[in-house]
Amino acid sequence: MSHSTEISSKEAWGGGQSPFRVSYGKMMMWFFLVSDALTFGGLLVSYGFIRHKYADVWPKAENVFTHFPFIEKHLPLAYVGLMTFILIMSSVTMVLAVEAGHRNDKKKVIMWMFWTIVGGATFVGSQAWEWFHFIHGTADGALRHVWDMDSGKYVEKVIYGANMTVNEYGVPQFANYFFFITGFHGFHVFSGVCINLIIFLNVLKGTYERRGHYEMIEKVGLYWHFVDLVWVFVFTFFYLL
Amino acid sequence: MSAEFHDDYPSYEHMAHHSEEEGKQTRKTLWRVFWIMLAITIFELVMGSLAPGRGWTGATWLKFLFIGLTILKAGYIILSFMHLGHEVRFLKYIILTPYITFMSYGIFIILDEGVYSGEPINRTRVDPILIHQQEKLRAGHGHHEDAILEEHGQAKEEVQH
Repeated sequence: MSHSTEISSKEAWGGGQSPFRVSYGKMMMWFFLVSDALTFGGLLVSYGFIRHKYADVWPKAENVFTHFPFIEKHLPLAYVGLMTFILIMSSVTMVLAVEAGHRNDKKKVIMWMFWTIVGGATFVGSQAWEWFHFIHGTADGALRHVWDMDSGKYVEKVIYGANMTVNEYGVPQFANYFFFITGFHGFHVFSGVCINLIIFLNVLKGTYERRGHYEMIEKVGLYWHFVDLVWVFVFTFFYLL
Repeated sequence: MSAEFHDDYPSYEHMAHHSEEEGKQTRKTLWRVFWIMLAITIFELVMGSLAPGRGWTGATWLKFLFIGLTILKAGYIILSFMHLGHEVRFLKYIILTPYITFMSYGIFIILDEGVYSGEPINRTRVDPILIHQQEKLRAGHGHHEDAILEEHGQAKEEVQH
């Protein structure tokens, strides 16, 4: 982080160097992240709007996400808390891999990248588990008016779990936004794990050692932290509020 | 061609290298940030689990507390983990300014347009059973499952009449 050359602001725009003092790849990663963050921002704004519109019938997340693997107890938000911890932890291991890369410490980069991938994969698995329980529903289900194709009118029926049209826990919009926002985020985590895996294999092969610097770790690290950043917001707006 | 052509750009990748001693310092900072973030998350969860029993659910101060803590965590991630705090000031602004501008507009839109959107005439139909269930939940009939069970029994009786 020591800057070898001091550039005056007048000279900075004269060409020959980056006024941002970062490489092209890193700057473009930042620009991509800004655009991606706007997509997530738009989704969360739309979620806020619909939630406000149906404020009186919106379910409370602590009544919906009460399951914990292997424990037959009512534990509201405990598992999602653990998932948040796992993702923050994997963000820390990622930044430690970046730091090791700055010292050209290949062994440490391998170790921290490995734990990052493990954390990311665990998170994706946990999300799949949570989706399963959300779709599957509780044992008792809930009574709803459901459109009956045969008779052509609404009939009262007990439904279990949630899909895009009916939702045991509350208004269908809750399930729609849950599937869309956590799904979009989960897909980001999944691609993040894949990208991390590719870079991990490159580290093993010694690609960056030959290149003389580990900046690629820093670039995928930016993406990975962004995924964590989005989850911090999803966690607050979907589960806590 | 009047302008001189440069292809000896400084290598920013190599400028990021640091020594063993600097690495130790960086790691110390990173772990400190991690502990702070962990403490915030645990605090949020504790507040969230205490809320229903104490009647804090949906309280405005609690919402603002959660949003404030979220922005604090986001700040730590962006400035420390993503290293934006140490980048050149100009890069910092070019990342943050457009985003904050657009999101301020988004927040303004929900607050401004959300005011009348919840009125019955502006809503698509909501299942009356659901409205009834939620009213019961709000009146404090214990857990979600209990309220549903209760609702279940009553609705069945009504059908039999």
